[in-house]
Amino acid sequence: MTSVTLAPTAPETAAGPETHLVRRYVPAQQVIHWIGVISFFLLLLTGVALLFPPLSFLAKGGTSGVIHRIGAIAFILLPALYLLRMPRKALELVRESFTYGREELAWFKHMPGYFLGSTRNLPPQGRLNAGQKLHHAATFLMFNTVTLSGLIMWFGKGQLGPEGLSAVVIVHDISMLGLSVAMIGHVYFTFLYGALSGMVTGKVSEDAPNGT
Amino acid sequence: MPTRYAFSIDLDRCIGCQACVISCQAGNELKDDETYIHVGEQIRGSGKTLWGSFDHHRCFHCADAPCVAACPTGTLSKWNGLTIVEKEKCSACGYCTDACPFKVPHIVDNHVSKCVACLDQVKEGQAPWCARTCPSQAIHFGERETILAEARAKVAALKARHPNAQIYGETQLGGLGLLMILLDKPEVYGLPLDPKAPETMKVWQSVVQPASSGLSVLAAGAMGLMFVFARRQHGKERAEHERAAKQKAALQTAQPKATETHHD
Repeated sequence: MTSVTLAPTAPETAAGPETHLVRRYVPAQQVIHWIGVISFFLLLLTGVALLFPPLSFLAKGGTSGVIHRIGAIAFILLPALYLLRMPRKALELVRESFTYGREELAWFKHMPGYFLGSTRNLPPQGRLNAGQKLHHAATFLMFNTVTLSGLIMWFGKGQLGPEGLSAVVIVHDISMLGLSVAMIGHVYFTFLYGALSGMVTGKVSEDAPNGT
Repeated sequence: MPTRYAFSIDLDRCIGCQACVISCQAGNELKDDETYIHVGEQIRGSGKTLWGSFDHHRCFHCADAPCVAACPTGTLSKWNGLTIVEKEKCSACGYCTDACPFKVPHIVDNHVSKCVACLDQVKEGQAPWCARTCPSQAIHFGERETILAEARAKVAALKARHPNAQIYGETQLGGLGLLMILLDKPEVYGLPLDPKAPETMKVWQSVVQPASSGLSVLAAGAMGLMFVFARRQHGKERAEHERAAKQKAALQTAQPKATETHHD
């Protein structure tokens, strides 16, 4: 495997001898990640206002619709930004996410334990563990379906007809349900395995379980 | 039992004067470029076969209104057979513009624009502006049963001159709240023969929408509960791991000392 992101840094003086930190994410990756977080939650909240009737008051007056479009532009530009800034890393991420071998299958057998906080007996993994790969692959697919259906709704408004509208909204809703569940899982593992600082500082402990 | 109101438009009486359009705009205080009623005309043939009729494009107030089903904010709702509008709730999402099989609603100035059935007038016991203004009495408003009986009588009388004359809207979409007295077949006026809400719309409304919000909340709740257990489990494992590491380190530092002692 051609690992490109796990570039070890100079030894950390602040950290003790037992917690060697290595740089896992370059600053551009961190910025892209957090733009993604902000735009995703903007889209989720303004979208839920149209999905969950008790929250429909949030959509009054159409401001939420404008915010949804601003969020959408940021969200759609993310992969383009990633691809332009770091074409090799971006393509590598997609390629890796869709490559599964024996190690990944072995990891999946330990997945229930991993869900419940146990990293014991986990087979060694590459830069991404099998769960991360699955998460990224699903996110990649649903990103495309949610984006495509969203763009059709945006630019096809008034021309879709009842059949077109309901088909597109169904795809949009199911994609967003999938992305939301993936996001909940992502947040879950981040906090379970204390991985938040990785995306904040860009550095992770050398012996940290391959967490989120 | 609540009253079920309906309009009727008699295209045999309509003279295309646009008075309904103007009174609707004025009565509902619409901007110059906004209108709930469009009056057009249908002309075909020439000479002796020349045939013409005015037509009206406006909300049909369907009983099973797809726009009401699609509206996520409750802006559109049913009231005594009429499809009413609470503009202040509108998010301008535009779902209604696509859901309507007649392509009636539009988004104007960030809110839905369609016939509001002059609700304030109706609640006061008055007929809507268009019905009150029509100089040729082509537009009627009242209880649907009465309006329907009138329309049937009119069509029966029209048959002699217009053999294809018929009422449009008696049964479509649960019975429309606007009965159109046509001089010819619906397709001549560009009206769909069997307008309906597609099955996919029911799937969206009754399955996908509740499932999407329900399953995400369920997933968040389940993961929240699991987190408490998993965090404890992971804490235990880490403590074990650290204890083992310390023991190993202690052993490593103790061993050379022991050797040194041995040498001493």
